[in-house]
Amino acid sequence: MKKLAVLVAVVAIFAFLAVPAVRAAEPIKIGAAFALSGSIAVYGEGFKKCIDLAVEEINAKGGIKGRKIEIVYEDNKSNPKDCVTAVRKLITVDKVPVIFGPAGSSNFMATAPVAQENKVVLLSAQGAAVGLTKAGDYIFRVFPSDTLQGPHLAKLAIGMGYKKVPVMYVNNDWGLGLKNAFVDAYKKMGGTVTDIIAYDEKKTDYRTELLRASKGNPPAIVNLTYINEGAVQFKQAFEMGIKTQWLCGSAARAPKMVELAGKAAEGVIGTYPSVPQNTKQYQAFKDAYKKKYGDDKIPIFGDYNYDMVYVTAKAIEKGGYTADGIRKALPAAAKGYKGVTGDKTFDNERSPKFAEYGIWIVKDGKIEDYKK
Amino acid sequence: MDSISYYLQTILNGILAGCIYALFAMGLTLIYGVLNFVNFAHGELIMWGAYFLFLFMAEPFGLPLYVAIIPALALTGCLGLAMDYSVFRPIRRANRLTLLIAAMGLSVLLRNAAQFFWGAEVRTYGFEVIAGTQFLGLYLTTTQFAIIAVTLICVVAVYLLFFKSRLGKSMRALSDNLDLARISGIDTKRSILAAWVISAVLAGIGGILLALDTNLHPEMGIANLIKAFAATLIGGVGNLWGALLGGLLIGLAENIGVLFISPGYKDGIAFVIMVLILLARPYVILGERSD
Repeated sequence: MKKLAVLVAVVAIFAFLAVPAVRAAEPIKIGAAFALSGSIAVYGEGFKKCIDLAVEEINAKGGIKGRKIEIVYEDNKSNPKDCVTAVRKLITVDKVPVIFGPAGSSNFMATAPVAQENKVVLLSAQGAAVGLTKAGDYIFRVFPSDTLQGPHLAKLAIGMGYKKVPVMYVNNDWGLGLKNAFVDAYKKMGGTVTDIIAYDEKKTDYRTELLRASKGNPPAIVNLTYINEGAVQFKQAFEMGIKTQWLCGSAARAPKMVELAGKAAEGVIGTYPSVPQNTKQYQAFKDAYKKKYGDDKIPIFGDYNYDMVYVTAKAIEKGGYTADGIRKALPAAAKGYKGVTGDKTFDNERSPKFAEYGIWIVKDGKIEDYKK
Repeated sequence: MDSISYYLQTILNGILAGCIYALFAMGLTLIYGVLNFVNFAHGELIMWGAYFLFLFMAEPFGLPLYVAIIPALALTGCLGLAMDYSVFRPIRRANRLTLLIAAMGLSVLLRNAAQFFWGAEVRTYGFEVIAGTQFLGLYLTTTQFAIIAVTLICVVAVYLLFFKSRLGKSMRALSDNLDLARISGIDTKRSILAAWVISAVLAGIGGILLALDTNLHPEMGIANLIKAFAATLIGGVGNLWGALLGGLLIGLAENIGVLFISPGYKDGIAFVIMVLILLARPYVILGERSD
């Protein structure tokens, strides 16, 4: 009888000790509400590739304290309604404490209050809209806010001698935020905005909007546009004989835009949050990407997604695998962290504190860095 | 650009947009006229038409545009028939709500299928962009000229078919009363099939022209369908000339409106017109004949 009691006790102790061991083998799940179908699935597939690359690397080095990372992808169908559905599903069914949010500022901002209410950490790797993280302290981004981009674009316009410009922008949170940041800075620098033209996404016909912007033959037009919309617009402007210097933001800077618009995109100039490519972090990322996928065309914002995985993994390691732990550990985990996209230190609004901006130009059908 | 040509160009832009809406609206109104329901999957016929052309122009076919159009339109016609055979024929006598929901479901299915085959990314046929020819201070490209010319040809052709041929007569009889038409010895099956083929081919033509003018995208159909629907209502459901006029009216109103109010409200203009028309002629949605 006594023997049996000892045996039971020993088994119980082992069983107790064994629980964490079993737990350790359980993967750390991170949700990702990504655009795998719908209008911006063009971007979504690229993000996924870079996320998978980072996860593979972390897991190959033993994961987070021995536990492997597993990404639970959920299709957000590129529209705010299905983004919310995807995030809700990740929170309630998969019960993940941290989610990589949807691309497209409007999509992300639709899901942010849901994450905040449920106290789940939500991160963005490409949301540039000014008020993107305002829903609360569970919302973060590793991509710089347009509060920083607006003045750079204004400086570019003034620097090129354009003191009067009409402004066109895509009518959503991203376009509106950047438009405001640009107009404020441009006016302060002595520039005059002659007309402001908001337009909807996903249209096939922008001719009259373009015509209105080109009234009075302005030497330059600021157009805060996307890949598809930009391609259609530059094409239609070209067909209508509108000759002007297009000045854009970061979202149109994609080889796809140039491919779609052909020679109509020639000479388009814009600003973008630049990632210094001569760092050893960037080179390592590029090499790893090439090794895994066989080409060295890094998808747009793919590098930010890659960094987001590392920053999140560091926060989980530091703060534990709970939403509160991650939220509290994120600022410390990111502070001074030199990722592929530079220093990831957060500011008070849980956005990157530092960002460098470059200037891009379409030249001979390629996107290059603009040299004055 | 001086101010007269500025306004003339706007009107031209309106006509171009209107022609596209009209091509879509004609197919929509035809099916409504004959079968008495709104085919919400019409937008997918538009999109598949454009993608079929893409299919025949790309490898392994590599056909030139003018040749590739023929098999592309033929396949679009077949897709129209397949839609009817697989979805709408079994529920021919169901109520309008059932038909409407079935059409919406089919729309999603076909859109996802296109995404499955070609991906969600935006594509082009790969033609070089050509600046429009200047004519009286207006710019017009070959594609845009084709849009206007083809729309006119289609309207006349469909008009002749509908009002001057035996087939058209039986289609019109069908739309008045299905049972009566059948009792009178009209081959209803043949007429319905013809309506589907014509509607699908019109959608295909519109889709190809739209894609030539802009780009290919799985959502290109649905994005314009709602405007085509508005055009149909404005013109009077089942009325071909009405579809043309409705399309042009919306195209012009939208484009002229852009000059004076924020283009952010562009869609609003079309729908305000639609709502006003519905208020004035509510029988359109109640399903009674408009004539």
